[in-house]
Amino acid sequence: MERYLTKNFDVQDSETIKVYLSQGEGYKAVENALKKMTPEQIIDEIKKSGLRGRGGAGFPAGLKWSFMPKDNARPKYICCNADESEPGTFKDRQIIEKDPHQLIEGLIIGAYAMGVNTVYIYIRGEYASQAKILQNAIDEAYDNGYLGKNVLGTDFNIDIYIHRGGGAYICGEETGLMESIEGKKGQPRKKPPFPAGYGVWGYPTTINNLETFSHVSHIINRGADWFKGIGTEKSTGNTLFGVSGHVKRPGVYELPFGVSLKEIIYEHAGGIRNDNELKGVIPGGSSTKILTADMIDVRMDHDSLMQAGSSIGTGAIIVMDHTTCMVRVGCVLSHFYRHETCGQCTQCREGTAWMHQIIARIEKGEGEIEDLDILLDIASNMEGNTICALSDAAAWPVQGLLRYFRDEFEEHIKQKKCPFTDSFLV
Amino acid sequence: MPTFIIDNKKITADKGTTILKAALDNGIKIPHFCYHEKLSIDGCCRMCLVEVEKMPKLTIACNTHVADDMVVHTHSPKVMKARAGVMEFQLINHPLDCPVCDQAGECRLQEYCFDYGVPHSRFREEKRKKRKRFSIGEHIVFDEERCILCRRCVRFCREVSKTGEVAVFNRGDRSYIGIYSGRGLNNKYSLCTTDICPVGALTSKDFRFKVRVWFLTETESICPECSNGCNIKICVRNNKIYRYLPRQNDNVNDTWMCNQGRLSYKNVHSDDRLTQPLIRSGDKQVPVKWDEALAIIAKGFKGRDGKVDGSHIGGIGSPHSTNEEGFLFRRFMRDAIGTNNIDFAVIKGYKDDMLIKEEKAANPGGAKDMTLWPSNGGHGISDMIGGISTGDVKILYIIGRDLMELEKSEKILDSLGNLDFLVVQDTHVSDLSRKADVVLPSATFAEKDGTFTNINGIVQRIRKAVDPPGDSLPDWEIISRLSKVMGYPMEYNSPEEIMDEIAKEIPAYKDVNYKGIGNQGFKVNSS
Repeated sequence: MERYLTKNFDVQDSETIKVYLSQGEGYKAVENALKKMTPEQIIDEIKKSGLRGRGGAGFPAGLKWSFMPKDNARPKYICCNADESEPGTFKDRQIIEKDPHQLIEGLIIGAYAMGVNTVYIYIRGEYASQAKILQNAIDEAYDNGYLGKNVLGTDFNIDIYIHRGGGAYICGEETGLMESIEGKKGQPRKKPPFPAGYGVWGYPTTINNLETFSHVSHIINRGADWFKGIGTEKSTGNTLFGVSGHVKRPGVYELPFGVSLKEIIYEHAGGIRNDNELKGVIPGGSSTKILTADMIDVRMDHDSLMQAGSSIGTGAIIVMDHTTCMVRVGCVLSHFYRHETCGQCTQCREGTAWMHQIIARIEKGEGEIEDLDILLDIASNMEGNTICALSDAAAWPVQGLLRYFRDEFEEHIKQKKCPFTDSFLV
Repeated sequence: MPTFIIDNKKITADKGTTILKAALDNGIKIPHFCYHEKLSIDGCCRMCLVEVEKMPKLTIACNTHVADDMVVHTHSPKVMKARAGVMEFQLINHPLDCPVCDQAGECRLQEYCFDYGVPHSRFREEKRKKRKRFSIGEHIVFDEERCILCRRCVRFCREVSKTGEVAVFNRGDRSYIGIYSGRGLNNKYSLCTTDICPVGALTSKDFRFKVRVWFLTETESICPECSNGCNIKICVRNNKIYRYLPRQNDNVNDTWMCNQGRLSYKNVHSDDRLTQPLIRSGDKQVPVKWDEALAIIAKGFKGRDGKVDGSHIGGIGSPHSTNEEGFLFRRFMRDAIGTNNIDFAVIKGYKDDMLIKEEKAANPGGAKDMTLWPSNGGHGISDMIGGISTGDVKILYIIGRDLMELEKSEKILDSLGNLDFLVVQDTHVSDLSRKADVVLPSATFAEKDGTFTNINGIVQRIRKAVDPPGDSLPDWEIISRLSKVMGYPMEYNSPEEIMDEIAKEIPAYKDVNYKGIGNQGFKVNSS
């Protein structure tokens, strides 16, 4: 099994263009794409590769790129989403810190393929040092003629700008991000219109996750068939799994789609801390539904996790051992969504707060048995009824916890206290 | 033109029409808070969710365009559950203070709770506390706890008044409507936000707690404050006006009106209304019956020889009078008195690009159309005033007091003192009426029927909403009575009959009749 995204991560100064170019393939993909391929050929290649977005929804990247208008009647933009804010997710940060030039390569190729001359990288505000590293890399790329006017002597021009966020999770939602770039309050836009027709500044825009762009140079260098050979039929390529929680070796692991959750936890992440008993795993970031210990044979790809009633999300695996209070988990997660909802849609503004209030009350030992059905009903009224998916993201973990750990909620209610001795006050 | 089905009803609408608009236009009710026909679409309240076949999720009717063969369900079980859900979410932190809320009776929350809500509460948490009843502008009180964050007020101030002082601050359940620091909700149309606020969050300082709205009856009329002629509803209980509300007319005022016009209802019931005919008795003016006052005028208009000499008489009409009244006044002066000294004065003031017009009267256009101006060598206002000192003008019949707002009003008043005889017909006491030999009390626009012609030549009807105070009468009735006493009868049962006469005489008005005017006006080629 080959690592291509992270292969340079262990090399000294891997974030510099010097090291990147010395590794043989550096910026070869840009050269090939700009000089030997038409934009259509690139988009076809990405389509053929089966590359799916790595930001959570898993939308086919090539298809998304093909939605952009082909003419140049109006300016077009690319947004690279580096607002990595989903609790448990920290993979994009690694690419920025360790190998930003493969990202820049992907952005140049994408821009060329879609006829874009301006790219915004929206990076979460807390990634201050990462923004510096990224800016250094961009400066190096300008100095070496990969960015700016007449890239590599062609008539293609491209500028990349970093836009630092102000610390709001909702600005990672694609249209919330665009509002934020425009200097407005971070609130998702109603759709339609969709970004491909009405994006940043009202112009056609394609937005992809940072990791998604980072796969592109490898696909161009080695072909769609090579990429398709990795992973599963419908989830192609490697992806970055960020493992956190009660494991011995938390961290980011580059593995092909389809690897079993069990293998990730027990082989790559070294198993559970103190060899404790595994209790539950959130497989794809905080919004995805929790899995129980007996479900970890599941393969980590879009289809398999959907069949298991959850989602691959951003591949952010949060592992919890038997000491974990699941009500407390619900409380922490629902507080997060309550805090981060923009508040424009009624269901999300009110529902996130109400769910958090109820779960916090249960954790304090003041719950009633009726609260559990109310929680599920609130979740069902929130799900699918709002402008963006934050409402769903808030509803799913609660639904997941109540599906598999309802007895634990009931125990809190029965005992009128949290049965976990080390659970802290809410 | 897409053809589609809403609730088993086949409908055709223009391309680009939203489901919500198509439904409302066809009498199908889809509840909504944030949608407003005259504002951009926001899509945040989620109350208008409907089920469209072949779409995986419910969709908001306000932002979904109709398409051929679309099948929409507005009352399916899924939709009803979502609506009940929105209602529950809106109400869990709402104070439920309907008994003391001024919006009661015209509140969307009440209405939809009744239609779509559930009768019991499952909410056991402590309600969110927010700021209560504080001033956010000269005319407006805000209650944050009642606010449902539909953002209509935000959009109004950005898109309509174009002042942009209102915004949503903070986020999530801490969101609140606020005003940018150092500013107030003080644009000239700010009270429109109380109209479009679907709940009791934004209320009018002037109107709140005066009356429960369900006791009010509404009469369609026209705002009298400027020549734009904004369409209004006069809201009345027990012969007292409590407020004006704007009424939709897309050719005139959309659904808006300015604060000044809205608050001008106070003029109707003010303490300085003239309620009885007055005649001069030494230094004083004393009340008399109509017959006596009219007889004195008939006598006063005659010279020492007992004849009416029109060349020394002038008539100054009013841009506040209706077309019908202007028409009668002109005919009275020209035919009964025999003078061409006819004119009117109009006050000018602040104007903007939206609704507020420079001419501060409802009907200067109509006064012009009714030819209330000097003709055949007759005098205009300045010549009439100037003619007093030379003895050229000895008698004046003046309706209204706009004259006094012209420059040199002191001088005008002094000149008027030299007249042989002065009749002033007006709604309110003024320096001018105090100078008069006879004062005739007239009705305001709210106390009579008639038409105004606005700045764009749209003839619009006003309708009597309250009785004139005391013995006061509409101008048309006064002129009609006076004319009869003068031996030149012009008798009409109603302004509508006068309009039929106008149509015969004034070419631009030949197609005008009350039925055709309706409640949206009739465009004429105004002079």
